[in-house]
Amino acid sequence: MQLNPTEISDLIKKRIEGFETDAEARTEGTIVSIMDGIVRIHGLSDVMSGEMIEFSNGTYGLALNLERDSVGAVVLGDYKDMTEGDTAKCTGRILDVPVGPELMGRVVNSLGAPIDGKGPVNASSMNPIERQAPGVIERKSVDEPMETGIKALDSMVPVGRGQRELIIGDRQTGKTAVAIDAIINQKGKNVKCIYVAVGQKASSVAGVVRKLEEFGAMEYTIVVAANASDPASMQYLAPYAGCAMGEYFRDNGEDALIIYDDLTKQAWAYRQVSLLLRRPPGREAYPGDVFFLHSRLLERAARVNAEYVERYTEGRVKGKTGSLTAYPIIETQEGDVSAFVPTNVISITDGQIFLDTDLFNSGNRPAIDAGLSVSRVGGAAQTKIIKKLGGGIRLDLAQYRELAAFSQFASDLDEGTRKQLERGARVTALMTQAQYSPLKTGELAFSLFAANEGFLDDIDVNKVNDFESAMLSYMRTEKTDFLEGLNESGDYNDDIASEMKSALENFKSKGAW
Amino acid sequence: MSELTTAARPYARAVFEMAESAGSLGEWSDMLGFMGAIASDEKVSALLATPKMAKQAGADAFVQLCDGKLNEQAKNLVSMLAENDRLSLLPEMSAIYEVLKDEAEGSVEAIVTSAKALTETEEKSISDALKKRLGRDVKIKVSVDETLLGGAIIQAGDLVIDGSLKGRLSKMTSVMAN
Repeated sequence: MQLNPTEISDLIKKRIEGFETDAEARTEGTIVSIMDGIVRIHGLSDVMSGEMIEFSNGTYGLALNLERDSVGAVVLGDYKDMTEGDTAKCTGRILDVPVGPELMGRVVNSLGAPIDGKGPVNASSMNPIERQAPGVIERKSVDEPMETGIKALDSMVPVGRGQRELIIGDRQTGKTAVAIDAIINQKGKNVKCIYVAVGQKASSVAGVVRKLEEFGAMEYTIVVAANASDPASMQYLAPYAGCAMGEYFRDNGEDALIIYDDLTKQAWAYRQVSLLLRRPPGREAYPGDVFFLHSRLLERAARVNAEYVERYTEGRVKGKTGSLTAYPIIETQEGDVSAFVPTNVISITDGQIFLDTDLFNSGNRPAIDAGLSVSRVGGAAQTKIIKKLGGGIRLDLAQYRELAAFSQFASDLDEGTRKQLERGARVTALMTQAQYSPLKTGELAFSLFAANEGFLDDIDVNKVNDFESAMLSYMRTEKTDFLEGLNESGDYNDDIASEMKSALENFKSKGAW
Repeated sequence: MSELTTAARPYARAVFEMAESAGSLGEWSDMLGFMGAIASDEKVSALLATPKMAKQAGADAFVQLCDGKLNEQAKNLVSMLAENDRLSLLPEMSAIYEVLKDEAEGSVEAIVTSAKALTETEEKSISDALKKRLGRDVKIKVSVDETLLGGAIIQAGDLVIDGSLKGRLSKMTSVMAN
């Protein structure tokens, strides 16, 4: 017979000693109807909105609709053995989840209960899942980079710590891949990561967890999963639960990164719950507050100042700012970004990374559309070297796209145009990057420098990626210290430029690619 | 059930206001209770639900069933309810009326379920304690349920005070399980 870790005599003794034997006074009601995970309860006259309700079989519910003679609530879990006439009790508690470093490396559900079979989570504190975002006074502007290790993103759509950057695209365009690369790239950077999977296949989530383990990224990552087979209420709550776990790090003066994969499915789950609660449907049958659903969630991703952290930790942490960076993911249908939920989330976030099906299918992966992707605040947070070297890339690509479309009609081109086209083709080739291979700042700088300074111009377009990987492995062995220095400082000046130039010349003279 | 309450509330309130101004709260309480009991009888509700039953005939039959216990106004109420197809709401109306009456009289009904029959002093002390807590006069209804093992459960409106041994044991079970 297997014993539970909680079944140790001392623990049992402590619990019995600490057990309160007072009579408990609570308001009770009876279940009037139950269908599709929604219960209507008669009674419960002083229930609060958002309060947890305990049912007689031990499962919990969340009071969402307070009406004159009944309370509408969603069941958080299985409702198959609940029947009409069962009692429902108020708990006086707002829904909360365990938070803290104890959750690292774990896979939990929307209520913070572990689902990875690794035993209980011994988290020391609990936080409510719905909290007000920090106010204006408590914030600090974004000025530190959150590097994804993806060339196209770090150079063209940089993201700062505390920013919200949307990843948007059709199905099968590599949205999750971008997010997972961003998590893998945080290794050794002291950034805690939270991956919230909403409405995905359990096998996909297991695949992501396995990949994260493979790259040693699970040590600093929490996975919150509400799978496709879980009730809609759990899928609706998962992002808030993940956010509460991320906020813990933000409020304790650390940096955290949270991925919501994806908010479209959360909006669907919320639509289901709302329609079953008989709230009136609006556009695309979503309820009226679907904007607030996402805005209140994303507003909690923020950079907070040192005073806020000090006040929150009661003086334990001094002089440190905290941040929570969010990468929400939205799946579009047939590239339609003007649907209800995509437009909402585009307007809430500080920019978007647009992934394009055609680019993906023509082999440009990650399939980032450089024209439609923007970052509204990230530029302020770029390291000096990437800002300097990456500026030219965006321009090169923009001019290339325009010329490439135009030159299809022209038979012969002048020298300048031809050169720009060739440069553009090489930069496009350079921006492709294999999955799970994020680059460090120094490596990225070398790649960008090579493109800017024309080192790629005489390389065959098909050979650009071979050239790059050979160049980077050369630099890793020959210029280890210099690369480390670049990774650390991110500085750029004439000395660094000339050293990079001579290193590239040395490598090129060997012709080994 | 909650929809029935919503529909029954305006009737109950109208009856209550009328009874209050006429000073006949007790009389109406008896009449509504009686009518509620009749309307909740299976045979009566089946009869009233018969599609062939004309509205006025239903009202007449109902009044006859009540066997002279209704005054003129109550008969009017029955025919109006029959007109609106709401005779089945009488039990809810009676319940809401009682709550309104208790509120007006500053009293509340509490159901005390205990494991053993309560002595008079115990009953007195419970009713005093409840009066202190709820700030109203308390009418106590007592019942015995041996499965509680010990202690008692007090129910006043939505408020439930569970001081039974059974409740504590089940609470302890859930604490130990988590």
